[in-house]
Amino acid sequence: MDVALSKRGGRLLRTFFALVVLFLYAPIVILLIFSFNKSAIPSFPLAGFTLHWYREFLGNSELKDALQTSAIVAAISSTCAVALGVLAALALTRRRFHGKSAVSALLLSPLVIPYVVFGISLLLLFHTVGVSRSLLTVVIGHIVISLPYTILVLVPRLDQVDVSLEEAAYDLGAGPVGTFRLITFPLILPAVVSAFLIAFTTSFDEYAVASFVVGPRLTFPIYLYSALRFPSQLPQVIAVAVVVLVLSLLVVIAAELGRRVVERRLESPTGRID
Amino acid sequence: MATAEGGHPPGRARSRRLRAGLATPTLLGLPVVWLVLFFVVPIAIVAAYSVNLYSLEPGPHEFTTAAWHDFLHSSVYLRLFWKSVRMSLTVSVIIVLLAYPLAYYLALSGTKRKYVLLLLLIAPFLTSYLLRVLAWKVILGNDGVINSFLYWTGLRSPDHPLSQLLYSRFAVMLVLGYIWLPFVALPIFVSLESLDRRLLEAACDLGASRRQAFLRVTLPLSLPGVAAAFLFVFIPTLGEFVTPSLVGGASGYMYGNQIVDLFGTGFPDWATGSVLAMFLLVVVTVLTLVFSRFLRAGEPASG
Repeated sequence: MDVALSKRGGRLLRTFFALVVLFLYAPIVILLIFSFNKSAIPSFPLAGFTLHWYREFLGNSELKDALQTSAIVAAISSTCAVALGVLAALALTRRRFHGKSAVSALLLSPLVIPYVVFGISLLLLFHTVGVSRSLLTVVIGHIVISLPYTILVLVPRLDQVDVSLEEAAYDLGAGPVGTFRLITFPLILPAVVSAFLIAFTTSFDEYAVASFVVGPRLTFPIYLYSALRFPSQLPQVIAVAVVVLVLSLLVVIAAELGRRVVERRLESPTGRID
Repeated sequence: MATAEGGHPPGRARSRRLRAGLATPTLLGLPVVWLVLFFVVPIAIVAAYSVNLYSLEPGPHEFTTAAWHDFLHSSVYLRLFWKSVRMSLTVSVIIVLLAYPLAYYLALSGTKRKYVLLLLLIAPFLTSYLLRVLAWKVILGNDGVINSFLYWTGLRSPDHPLSQLLYSRFAVMLVLGYIWLPFVALPIFVSLESLDRRLLEAACDLGASRRQAFLRVTLPLSLPGVAAAFLFVFIPTLGEFVTPSLVGGASGYMYGNQIVDLFGTGFPDWATGSVLAMFLLVVVTVLTLVFSRFLRAGEPASG
């Protein structure tokens, strides 16, 4: 007999799982339906099909500016976070030093700080040193909060890489930078891409910290939050929401499937058997 | 030694370490300096502000715990803190209880598509936070999807909407639960997935029923995952201010909103705000330390 689950229990759990998934996706589906609804108020009965709200949002330059700003902020902050994350992850997996547990605690601590506390801390810092709020201040904050995620993704992958490959490169005369470029980096590339995507989406979607340090140019979440206060903007915000939600779902799923395929391919030639 | 790593047997740890390469300071310099400058120093400034060692207001300032004293003796702030604790505790417990069977199904039912299903479960968490809150605003409002559906079908008259749906404590807790549920399943899944099934078979061979095997083998071994899951949702929801400001109204107002308002444009009081922020940070840090000790204690058993 199956020791973990009876037949009936298995069916029960499967039904429960299906119901929860339904609950998770229902709000997204509801937004999708109402984004094509003619009425300006998202309510029943449905008033008929229209693409009006999508057209309106494509013509809304403020909104497009905000999306573009967020893309720039996310690209810069995630690139920096991944670069810092690779350095830190290399130290944590390849080096032996005193106070390692303290250092890794510091590197991961932004994970558990309430964003409201971090937001006001940055605000006070920038006030104190007299730096006015801008996209740069948002980027600085986003690098801090994405850095631990990149480390969490990179460390397990670096642990899997066979160190003897790196040692062979050293023995054959490659310097530390050359070894990293030719051996380590290609082997951890799937994790680097995952780390980048996680950092990018974290930044692109980040409202709490940005709300304290954003300057006159608004990021997308900040714009969205202010637009939510005007009911007249709601229908086109719903249309944007649908586009962003569906796109991000697709990216997430594609990235995860891609990473699996690539990692499986990278595993095989090293011939490691566990 | 502080350098000892938990988990790895010493031989394996040594073989994973490279004998040559960039020096440790070169590798750690930038990340550590970045975090010190833009994470540690800012928090230190807030701490200094809370005891009046530093202030943006002109005039002399010296060390005083007056703001802390006022905070600890103010019924308003502490009551708000406990209200927030109760709200996020309720949300955390409920969704951990809901997530456990989900993770159990994925890890132990033997389904072939377990990673696809896991991705299906997690994917909503990786999409926009604000937009998922927006979806609920549209659903719960007085003229929203649920109410208008009830009017339309005649189940309720438009004069008597279900008015407690939006701008209430219930709305905040529902939305927070909705947002964090997929994420909470993850650590529980990992701990159940790494469970050695031979232990269950052994329990069975020794005459345990499924129920006994679950209560005495599976459940205790998955508790570290459950604790991690609980912590991962309790900490962010305790300091939450975005969801309550969008769907909470007056009754859903949380401690985090109070901090924001003290730093806001209305009647700013940065000294009191700093005290509230530092208090939250202390609570969260203590919780993290206690839980991480508990998690580490659970490690040898699962390895």
